[in-house]
Amino acid sequence: MSFVPGQPVIAVVERIEIKKLRHGDNLILGFSIGGGIDQDPGQNPFSEDKTDKGIYVTRISQGGPADEAGLKMGDKIMQVNGWDMTVVTHDEARKKLTKKKEDVVRLLVTRKTLEEAVKHSKGKYPRP
Amino acid sequence: MPVDKYANMEEKLWILEDLNMMYIRQIALSLQDSDIQKKIDHEIRMRDGACKLLAACSQRDQALEAAKSLQTCSTRIMAYMSELQRMKEAQVMQKVTRRSSDAGPMDDRLPCKGKVAISDLRIPLMWKDTEYFKNKGELHRCAVFCLLQLGGEIFDTDMVIVDRTLTDICFDNTIVFNEASPGFELRVELYSCCSEDDYSAGSTPRKLASKLSSSLGRSAGKKLRAAMEPGPCSPVSNGGAAPLLLPVPSVAGPKYHLLAHTTVSLSHVQDSFRTHDLTISGNEECSYWLPLYGSMCCRLAAQPHCMTQQMMSGCLKVKQCGGDLQSWSNVYAVLKGTSLFCYHRQEDVEANIEPAFTIGINKETRIRASEKDPHSKVQNICISNQYGGEEVTHTLTTDSREDTHRWMEAFWQHFYDMSQWKQCCDDLMKIELPSPRKPAPVTPKQGSLYHEMVIESSDDLSSTVSDILARRMQELELRSHLGTSPTWMSVFEENSTKGAGRPRHCTSRLSGHSPCTPHRLPRSPVSPHRCPQLGVLSSDTSLTSDSDSHCSTSPCSHHHIWPEPSSNFSLLSSSPSRLRPRTLSLDAKLSTLRGRGYGGGGGGTFQCSCQPSSSLLAPLPISSRSPLSQRSTQTTLSCSSSTSSSSSSNSEGSHSPESSEGIPFSRPSPARRSLRNLRARLDPRNWLQSQV
Repeated sequence: MSFVPGQPVIAVVERIEIKKLRHGDNLILGFSIGGGIDQDPGQNPFSEDKTDKGIYVTRISQGGPADEAGLKMGDKIMQVNGWDMTVVTHDEARKKLTKKKEDVVRLLVTRKTLEEAVKHSKGKYPRP
Repeated sequence: MPVDKYANMEEKLWILEDLNMMYIRQIALSLQDSDIQKKIDHEIRMRDGACKLLAACSQRDQALEAAKSLQTCSTRIMAYMSELQRMKEAQVMQKVTRRSSDAGPMDDRLPCKGKVAISDLRIPLMWKDTEYFKNKGELHRCAVFCLLQLGGEIFDTDMVIVDRTLTDICFDNTIVFNEASPGFELRVELYSCCSEDDYSAGSTPRKLASKLSSSLGRSAGKKLRAAMEPGPCSPVSNGGAAPLLLPVPSVAGPKYHLLAHTTVSLSHVQDSFRTHDLTISGNEECSYWLPLYGSMCCRLAAQPHCMTQQMMSGCLKVKQCGGDLQSWSNVYAVLKGTSLFCYHRQEDVEANIEPAFTIGINKETRIRASEKDPHSKVQNICISNQYGGEEVTHTLTTDSREDTHRWMEAFWQHFYDMSQWKQCCDDLMKIELPSPRKPAPVTPKQGSLYHEMVIESSDDLSSTVSDILARRMQELELRSHLGTSPTWMSVFEENSTKGAGRPRHCTSRLSGHSPCTPHRLPRSPVSPHRCPQLGVLSSDTSLTSDSDSHCSTSPCSHHHIWPEPSSNFSLLSSSPSRLRPRTLSLDAKLSTLRGRGYGGGGGGTFQCSCQPSSSLLAPLPISSRSPLSQRSTQTTLSCSSSTSSSSSSNSEGSHSPESSEGIPFSRPSPARRSLRNLRARLDPRNWLQSQV
């Protein structure tokens, strides 16, 4: 799922809207991210392509806002509220997710199963 | 048009260079010294090669290396040229003086030469603390190397890239100069080049002039600088007294500038490390500036030939006086170092057999020729030493007067050498010969002291753990009176009770484990990062643990699906060497929030900002960020924070491995193993993760 410079990135994405949970002074989403252009992509256990420096979801807190919205562990986040997440540093990604003025984040995420689901539905695979 | 002017200038420079070459060759020819000429030719070829390489290479470090070779070659050329000049001058002077004066006194001794070695060069840096701790921008890097010049020999060290993570510039090379006289002056020059320069091709004449003046050797540079003040690039030619101007071809590429220099000589020679002062040129505005502390440490050793080589050898007859021994013994004597070794036979020397006896020859020895022996007509040589309070005299005699003369001569020369080389002759200094070029070992980046100090706050873990446990026991004992003791308490009671109270379906698991747990718990973790996150159960019912997978990885093959609020307790987690993590993590918080709104939860002491013991264990490579307010809950090492229930173990550091499993645990066992792998792979030490 990593990009080839000069070529458009094509992915099947799912739109996930997470309402942040207010807890005291903080707004929490209930998941953790890993990755970034400043991180070592080889350490990412979720990525198929080990050169992919994108932002991935590394854990979801049970019952948290992200879990309820349908985010899954291992998802790659492509956009957050319109901001690109495919070529950002780890810190930039975190900041885009944790803006205090925003109560809701709308993510575009992709995962392998989505692609397969689309392929299935298009009839490419033999039906079981 | 200015461009034309410069182009013209460059052309003129090239022409001048060719002329210089011709002139040099002529001088060399006239001196009939093809040796230097060959060397100069060689260096010029090297320099051309370096220029071409510089123009062709694209990689930054290649360019730096090529520029370094260029610098070295240029310096060598200048050195050879000045030597040629000197020789020419000497020749001319000799012709003049030979007519006027006769040969000087015979006592025109020359001391023996020796080897001088300089090694372990270290130049400390003095960064401002703002550079270290606050400066987050790009590292300002410089490439540095040293040029060492002694006599006509110039060597360069390897290039080192320096940035603010280094506290010293260290050069590991050992440089050995082979033919040094005792009055040597070893000049050390430190060149540096900013590593972020973009190559600006073409330079104004003024730039060229300043670069030239800074890239030449000491005396040449001074003269040139003086000469070039009035007009840049005018060739200096005053009858050959000043060295010739050899314009450095202006190549696009990194250029080194002289940052500091110093000169060491015989008085600095010692068998250990010494510190010398550096003269720094340049100031903070220069791009190649580095904050030098102002001194340089190195080991400067010298081995004069008189200490390492045989100065004189031959057959002698020795008689020891001052004792009862009055007989002459025939020996083969070798004068070397601080002794006269007397062997029985000449073959013993090669065979490395111990000498018959040794006569010390050092600064306190007195040698004199005695009166002629009446019957042999040969003068004896008397050597006296003081051993303790006693004076011991040996008398040597040879077969002929010439031999005696030669030996006396050798002794005088030896004494003279020792007086010239002073402290080097006390004892033989070791010089390690640089081993043949082995490929540089891949050393980890030269770490600086500051970044590599991991703060080990785990030393007092065991005490904190027992404190926490004790406190919790008390807390729970209170609760148990209310009938809500958490089920895992039963474990502590050594299997006596099968869970006082609630979820009974847990107990079966518990019992399976209880024998093991008691001694597992008190053990403190081995590695500092795996601190026991003893989460506190604030709320009575929610025995939420952080990681469900702990259940899944339990040795007991049971596998219950624990309903949400209760029970996912991770008491006994996988690896026996770790303490059971028991954090009240974000999950727990969320679930309690959901389940009962805010007020609930017994110890609802959600002190988010509990003791931010800012011993951020997150090892430095990870923590490049500044803690945001969002993260004020980032309490680390829940050891301390765990008692106060909040322990929002937001510390990405050690926490996420445990709590990474927000995964539904209704998975078959093969997946359990993969979970364990996953947890290992999500180690934040290797790959940064942030909780949002």
